[in-house]
Amino acid sequence: MALPNQQTVEYPSFKLVIVGDGGTGKTTFVKRHLTGEFEKKYEPTIGVEVHPLDFFTNCGPIRFYCWDTAGQEKFGGLRDGYYIHGQCAIIMFDVTARLTYKNVPTWHRDLCRVCENIPIVLCGNKVDVKNRQVKAKQVTFHRKKNLQYYEISAKSNYNFEKPFLYLARKLAGDPNLHFVESPALAPPEVQIDVAAQQQYAPFISGFSCHCFLTYSCK
Amino acid sequence: MDDLEKAIIISFDESGTIDHELKSRAVSYCQQLKESPSICRVCVERVLCTKFVQVQFWCLQTLEEFLHLRYSSMSPEEKLYVRESVMSMACDGRVGEKGSIRFLDAPSFIKNKLAQVLVTLIYFEYPMIWSSLFVDFLQHLNKGAAVIDMFCRVLNALDDEVISLDYPRNAEEVVVAGRIKDGMRQQCIPQIVRAWYDIVSLYKNSNPDVCTCVLDSLRRCISWIDIGLIANNAFVPMLFELVLVEGPPEQLRGAAANCVLAIVSKRMDPQSKMSMLQSLQMSRVFSVVAGNGESELISSLAALLTGYAAELLDCTKRLDSEEIKGISTELLDEVLPSVFYVMRNCEMDATFNIVQFLSGYVATMKSLSPLREKQVLHIGQILEVIRLQICYDPVYRNSLNVLDKIGKEEEYRMEEFRKDFLVLLRSVGRVAPDVTQLFIRNLLASALVSSSERNVEEVEAALSLFHALGESISEEAMKTGSGMLRELVPMLLSARINCHSHRLVALAYLETVTRYVKFVQENTNCIPLVLAAFLDERGIHHPNIYVSRRASYLFMRVVKFLKAKLVPYIQTILQSLQDKVGQCMNSDWSVKEQKSSGTEDGSHIFEAIGLLIGMEEVSPEKQSEYLSSLLTPLCHQVKELLLDAKVQDQEGSFEKIAVIQQIVMAINALSKGFSERLVTASRPTIGVMFKQTLDILLEILEVFPKVELLRSKVTSFIHRMVDTLGASVFPYLPKALGQLIADSEPKEMVSFLVLINQLICKFNSLVGNILEELFPAIASRVFHVLPREGFPSGPGSNTEEIRELQELQKTFYTFLHVVTTHDLSSVFLAPKSRVYLNPLIQLLLHTSCSHKDILVRKACVQIFIRLIKDWCTKPHFEEKVPGFQNFIIETFAINCCLYSVLDKSFEFRDANTLVLFGEIVVAQKVMYEKLGDEFLVHFVSKAFQTAHCPQELAEQYCQKLQGSDIKALKVFYQSLIENLRHQQNGSLVFR
Repeated sequence: MALPNQQTVEYPSFKLVIVGDGGTGKTTFVKRHLTGEFEKKYEPTIGVEVHPLDFFTNCGPIRFYCWDTAGQEKFGGLRDGYYIHGQCAIIMFDVTARLTYKNVPTWHRDLCRVCENIPIVLCGNKVDVKNRQVKAKQVTFHRKKNLQYYEISAKSNYNFEKPFLYLARKLAGDPNLHFVESPALAPPEVQIDVAAQQQYAPFISGFSCHCFLTYSCK
Repeated sequence: MDDLEKAIIISFDESGTIDHELKSRAVSYCQQLKESPSICRVCVERVLCTKFVQVQFWCLQTLEEFLHLRYSSMSPEEKLYVRESVMSMACDGRVGEKGSIRFLDAPSFIKNKLAQVLVTLIYFEYPMIWSSLFVDFLQHLNKGAAVIDMFCRVLNALDDEVISLDYPRNAEEVVVAGRIKDGMRQQCIPQIVRAWYDIVSLYKNSNPDVCTCVLDSLRRCISWIDIGLIANNAFVPMLFELVLVEGPPEQLRGAAANCVLAIVSKRMDPQSKMSMLQSLQMSRVFSVVAGNGESELISSLAALLTGYAAELLDCTKRLDSEEIKGISTELLDEVLPSVFYVMRNCEMDATFNIVQFLSGYVATMKSLSPLREKQVLHIGQILEVIRLQICYDPVYRNSLNVLDKIGKEEEYRMEEFRKDFLVLLRSVGRVAPDVTQLFIRNLLASALVSSSERNVEEVEAALSLFHALGESISEEAMKTGSGMLRELVPMLLSARINCHSHRLVALAYLETVTRYVKFVQENTNCIPLVLAAFLDERGIHHPNIYVSRRASYLFMRVVKFLKAKLVPYIQTILQSLQDKVGQCMNSDWSVKEQKSSGTEDGSHIFEAIGLLIGMEEVSPEKQSEYLSSLLTPLCHQVKELLLDAKVQDQEGSFEKIAVIQQIVMAINALSKGFSERLVTASRPTIGVMFKQTLDILLEILEVFPKVELLRSKVTSFIHRMVDTLGASVFPYLPKALGQLIADSEPKEMVSFLVLINQLICKFNSLVGNILEELFPAIASRVFHVLPREGFPSGPGSNTEEIRELQELQKTFYTFLHVVTTHDLSSVFLAPKSRVYLNPLIQLLLHTSCSHKDILVRKACVQIFIRLIKDWCTKPHFEEKVPGFQNFIIETFAINCCLYSVLDKSFEFRDANTLVLFGEIVVAQKVMYEKLGDEFLVHFVSKAFQTAHCPQELAEQYCQKLQGSDIKALKVFYQSLIENLRHQQNGSLVFR
């Protein structure tokens, strides 16, 4: 029952559950993928949207049915009922709102209660915003629970593919799997300054590099 | 399938095939049912007889939700009913009406949901209402693995939902957790632990899975139960047997190791902890770790050993007794080799912080000297761990060489990752300098000897370690080459590494050479080696552009540092840089350079050359020869390009512009090495050469008047020439400045004004005539572009254009400030400038009263002070500036010195505002000095009156103003203003 039965496809498809506090950008994230946008179905009354997103790997196409579980209350709706038969998951938080990171363990717990031993990616969204509250170094939860962590910016498409690639590799059991073509993405709404983002310096702290050591290490 | 089941299944369906209308009906049907009074009973009955997991899940979820929301309104009978039904599901599974469905065969997520329901009951009822829950449950464990599994799920859910501190909890939840733990400790924990022991003993061979579950539950409890129940002669041997004996599945052995880790990590006072740790005989585990490769078990064991070592280290720090300290040191010595082994060979549990542990260990050695033999060995091991950790993965070799996107990411990641390790290296270097230097010497030696394409990463790591070591060596030690440096630095300098072609190796090499250049300063025999390292294909002539560019920059720094010792080598250096100098004039190169260059452009080579040939130690003839050999072709090239451009269409000459720009930057950098004294006094021939160059470069402005890039580069060059040529630059200025100001955009106007400010500051009133000529143009331009009505505020007003105009406004005020403070206010009075005087004064008045930047207001008040001093001369038979005096008395004094200060936005607690206030008080003093009673009478009778100033305060003001104590005046005036503000109480709105 978990996998939509109308849009079944010939190639492997997986149910991907996306959870996280409201406003962390889960919906914006899945909607970046244009093929998904095209086929997506909207069920506002129930509080879940399912987007079929296709990716093309060196082993053929793969589909993620992304269950975007946006805007849920503590009670009411099906809540963790949506997780049933989830095969992989993304937990999203907002690096500009500390509370959304604090709630990550709870999301993880609720997810694992229903889906034992599935690959999970933790995503810190909105890294394009200048004054972030959760610095990369403060993000440690993924280590305790053996999750993969990525910093993303849904608005600028920064690292959009990374979570999907990680999950695809885990699900396929093939660490060398790669995407052979980029999915069509909505054009970025903001340009992420990768140089500033990464504070990239030409080499280790030589003479001139001290000014680069600003954000992620403090 | 009845209606309820249908409705639930439809609710869950997200396939998109269900009619929207039908789905809404199903959802609201389920929702309505949740409101029904008999919902508990419905759920309990349904969960046991349905064959759909969705329905089972929905029933349990609804039950849990119901308990959470409406527990307090439930009747005692209803509560009892739920209790008994849930318990029988968890313990038996055969209570359904039909008796055929065994509940515990359901999928995990259903059992977890049931456990969650039970935990919700525990939350409300244990131990006050339902005290027998755990004891009752224990009675059923003999029914077999399924019930034991369910029991573990309940305990794990209890940990997750209530006890564990890994989740955010509110105050009430913390109180409840305490209550439940207390109840369990008093009532049933010993029995539960006993049951666990029996289960594991009984099932370890026949059903390892259930044992793994049990141990997992046990592990979660250890932190809050009596440790004596576990760390004893029954449990510990059993756990170690599981860990050590091959045979049981890895999961079970790993779970046992995790339990031991939980025992080791239990919070205890250090003395009891030490005896507990000692009793574990952890050395038994060492051989198991060394034996296996990568597996889940090994990562559990690695975590166990590192956790154990960290606890020992912690005890060592906290213990006072030397005797017990001795034991902990002994145990630590015993475990460390295995810890190092784990760090080198195993995938580490990421929660364990290697650097933190090792730093803690190294810190314990700070007070020890000399180090024991074992500790020296450990230091060697630590260095090896550092080296391994900071090595790049060969997978990225190519990406890092060409520096593509992946390479950039990896380099950035490694840079961040390395920071802590390099700090650790430095503290190791301080604790054991000899061991550290010897380690690096050996690394370097093997990197230099046996290097082949294979070990780019190792060579890079060796060089980076040597570089990092340099940061912890004192200047004195660096100069004298203490320890092994005397051997190491020459070894580095003469190194020819096979994999030098790799970007990372070449960069690490050059950075490290630069790091140790202080040694070379004292050991001049090494100079040829340093020069070779930078000038041959290891440095500036490296084929990788990232390397050659960085090499140019580092070479410039080295030259700056060593230049006095480089005089004999100038000829050689120039010869080997000839090709690079020539590249500057090549259009392909210039375009590429500008596209890819950041801060490190090609002009660093010219700066280095300038530093060398600009020294007084170079003979006049040689100096002229060198300089002209550089300037002549460059100037010639510019002339040709300009001639070309004059003939041809200007558009499409992008490449020409790029080359010219490159040349101007090069000449600019070159000139930095020449001092004003040398150029103007001791060697005038050099001055002439620069003047000729200036003449040619100024032509650029004529030919490309609208190319902003070129204008800004030429402006920079004029700046330099002002500094280098001194007053002899004057003849060139009128024309150049005229061209720069023509049609200038706000941004260009800013740099133009900065140039004028430089001229005024350097030459004072000598530039009076030039300024008089320019001022009308400046004023007209500025008044034309700055908005009359001030800048818009609110959303959308923060555009680039507006920011540029604000910048121009600010620079314009600085300009006016510089003019007046350098005795040049007469410029405003020149006949051609007169027309701008009135708007100028109005602008200054408005700004001094209400500009949002307090520092700008301060500057404007200071300008007024100067103007009053310059223009209000007593006696005033003939006013220097007719009307100015009246304006000051009637407008400036009242608006700026009183009203603007009375405004509540004038915040005395702000430091900048207080400085502004000081200037305003000075202005009053100056007005009184220059204008006497004429000012004072008007100010007191008119201005103070409108502000309803009491007579006695006004009189005091007059006294203070006439006195000589400006500080007292300031204090008094502040109190006067505060007084007036208080009195007005906001009733009078000023301005």
